[in-house]
Amino acid sequence: MGLVSQPAPYGRPAPGRQATPHAGSTTPPPAAGRGTPSPAARPLPGRRLRPAVILRHTLAWLVGLLWIVPFLGILMSALRPQAELIHGWWQLGQVTISAENFVRAWNHPTAPMGEGIRNSLLVVVPSTVLPLLIASLAAYGFLRSRARVRTPLFALIILLLAVPQQMVAIPLFRILRDLGFINSYAGLVVTHTAWALPWMIMFLRNYFATLPREVEEAALLDGAGRLQIFWHVILPLSLPGLASAAALQLTWAWNDFFMALILLYEPTRLVATQRIPLLRGQYHVDWGILTAASVLTIAVPILVFALLQRYYVRGLIGWTLK
Amino acid sequence: MATVQLHHVTKQFGDVTAVHDFSLEIDDGEFLVLVGPSGCGKSTLLRVVAGLEEVTSGEIYIDDRLVNHVAPKDRDVAMVFQNYALYPHMNVYDNLAFGLRMRRVARDEIDRRVRQAAEILGLADLLRRRPAQLSGGQRQRVALGRAIVREPKVFLMDEPLSNLDAKLRVEMRTELARLHQRLRVTTIYVTHDQTEAMTMGSRIVVMKDGRIQQVASPLELYEQPANLFVAGFIGSPPMNFVRGTLEPRDGDLWFAAAGISIRVPGALAGATAGLGGHPIVLGVRPEDILVDPERVRVLPDHRVEALVEVVEPLGADAFVHLLAGEQRLTARVPGRVKVRVGDRLTVAPDPDRIHLFDPATEQALSRAATSP
Ligand SMILES: Nc1ncnc2c1ncn2[C@@H]1O[C@H](COP(=O)(O)OP(=O)(O)O)[C@@H](O)[C@H]1O
Ligand SMILES: [Mg+2]
Repeated sequence: MGLVSQPAPYGRPAPGRQATPHAGSTTPPPAAGRGTPSPAARPLPGRRLRPAVILRHTLAWLVGLLWIVPFLGILMSALRPQAELIHGWWQLGQVTISAENFVRAWNHPTAPMGEGIRNSLLVVVPSTVLPLLIASLAAYGFLRSRARVRTPLFALIILLLAVPQQMVAIPLFRILRDLGFINSYAGLVVTHTAWALPWMIMFLRNYFATLPREVEEAALLDGAGRLQIFWHVILPLSLPGLASAAALQLTWAWNDFFMALILLYEPTRLVATQRIPLLRGQYHVDWGILTAASVLTIAVPILVFALLQRYYVRGLIGWTLK
Repeated sequence: MATVQLHHVTKQFGDVTAVHDFSLEIDDGEFLVLVGPSGCGKSTLLRVVAGLEEVTSGEIYIDDRLVNHVAPKDRDVAMVFQNYALYPHMNVYDNLAFGLRMRRVARDEIDRRVRQAAEILGLADLLRRRPAQLSGGQRQRVALGRAIVREPKVFLMDEPLSNLDAKLRVEMRTELARLHQRLRVTTIYVTHDQTEAMTMGSRIVVMKDGRIQQVASPLELYEQPANLFVAGFIGSPPMNFVRGTLEPRDGDLWFAAAGISIRVPGALAGATAGLGGHPIVLGVRPEDILVDPERVRVLPDHRVEALVEVVEPLGADAFVHLLAGEQRLTARVPGRVKVRVGDRLTVAPDPDRIHLFDPATEQALSRAATSP
């Protein structure tokens, strides 16, 4: 039942422990195996340097490097003057760190990134909260409803997951234009919300399904209605799932370029991702300002993930309840 | 306080019939125990009474009100779940208070009732803890407390002690009994443990495969089991069963199996009349196998020669495992009796305590079966 205050399941192995896999073999563990055996005497099953473990770690590092190396390049090029980078950003002969590129990007005369990030936030926050609210309600309905339409409706939602964005672009533009939603954040928020609902409903339905049924039934007997159960039991128990969905949706909406491109074109209203290409410069590519803008843009999702990581990882793995 | 009546309740899940034509009346303030092996439909029955499942057919009355279509929250029943089902994100106080808040009980009344229940159950110092920070026994108490504060008409308890260790289980048994003495709320208590059933119930319902096998007091279940199932389920170690046939001899009926020949006692003569040549199952409880030579001597028609295979001394008693002919029997003898492995004994089943069962119907012959 250790739901909320559960400690992380994996302790980090003590340094040096892995190198001596048979540390426990000289002193046998206490016969009972309970109590608190001294750390030195405890055998370490699963922490030995087996080939599978080595392979997994190597792969993880490779994937990590695949992400980190280009990011380092971007960071270097944003922080250092252009002249230092001619022979590659990894040349560390002379390193001058300066925030100048960031300042220039932030206050750019035609496409200031500061304004872009503010606009992005104005779009992204409601684009996350709104679908989360709707999808969690819908997901709970799909899980518990006994109506006959439930299954076909759910199948339809899964079908919607397969619709490519490019296919809906033009009809979407027309509908939103007729509704007067062009160049308005509301239009983009509605679009993001609609786009998020299918996967979020499915994700949250599956998450809710892992919650212990009896707790809900106890609430039912305690006199709670369905909405009260949803609010007082389901949602608080689903914080990790909700956090995961929020982090994914926020990143998705933040990184979106396509939808914004279709719906927003008034210069002061452009979101962050739309502004980066405008910073390129007319006659030569200004890599410094471009990369600084990229780092600024990327910072928000990274921050979100860092903040929600604790929940996020659990939410994706799911957790056992006993 | 309430009565609960079940009239021909049947619950099916697709092809599975979890509860079959179940009829029972539970008195106001009664502590009724429902016992049966795992999967026999005990939980389903409780859930049907609670309103968590709909019946397939039949009627349920609580206090003479038909509740078949009444929502769980309006039935005024409280359930203690096997795995407690506490609200993991709420502390003990809120777990207890939740049901009252949902029912819009006044705040100071909630506080009064929660503290009173906590006092009764010894939870007063734990009110700020979350379920994860409690031991199994403490969680169990919170689950009970959650039921108590509601002051419902009926308690439904689904194997509430099965997740506790043996010692705690025995303690909680007494505590539950005391609680019932104090509150006198009509209770349906479910367990798969026959010892628990025998010690807690004033009236016990034995269930198997969704059907009632027998409804009786603990003593009656023990002394007059209605059928083979009840006879084998109640009692530990279980009743000895010997398959044989009824043979007429010298005007009497005799029970005969390989190496065993016993005259059917007079009390069973009526029930067995005309059954000569029929197959039959003889049942005798371990403590009803007499080994005392003085007592065996006066029972010339019931003697059985047996070899002692194993002796399990328990202090006051000892279990003696015997081989009689081809039959293995367990006898319970006073601990002082000296028996050793390899001894040859003459024993006798106490003729007043022999049970006979018809192997075809599995019903006891000794008396008319009390079917509900
Ligand atoms: N929701 C359900 N769906 C299908 N079968 C069920 C369901 N609940 C219980 N059953 C079946 O009904 C029978 C009785 O189950 P249950 O009432 O849980 O037994 P017990 O509590 O006595 O162990 C079992 O065969 C079980 O598999
Ligand atoms: Mg059960």
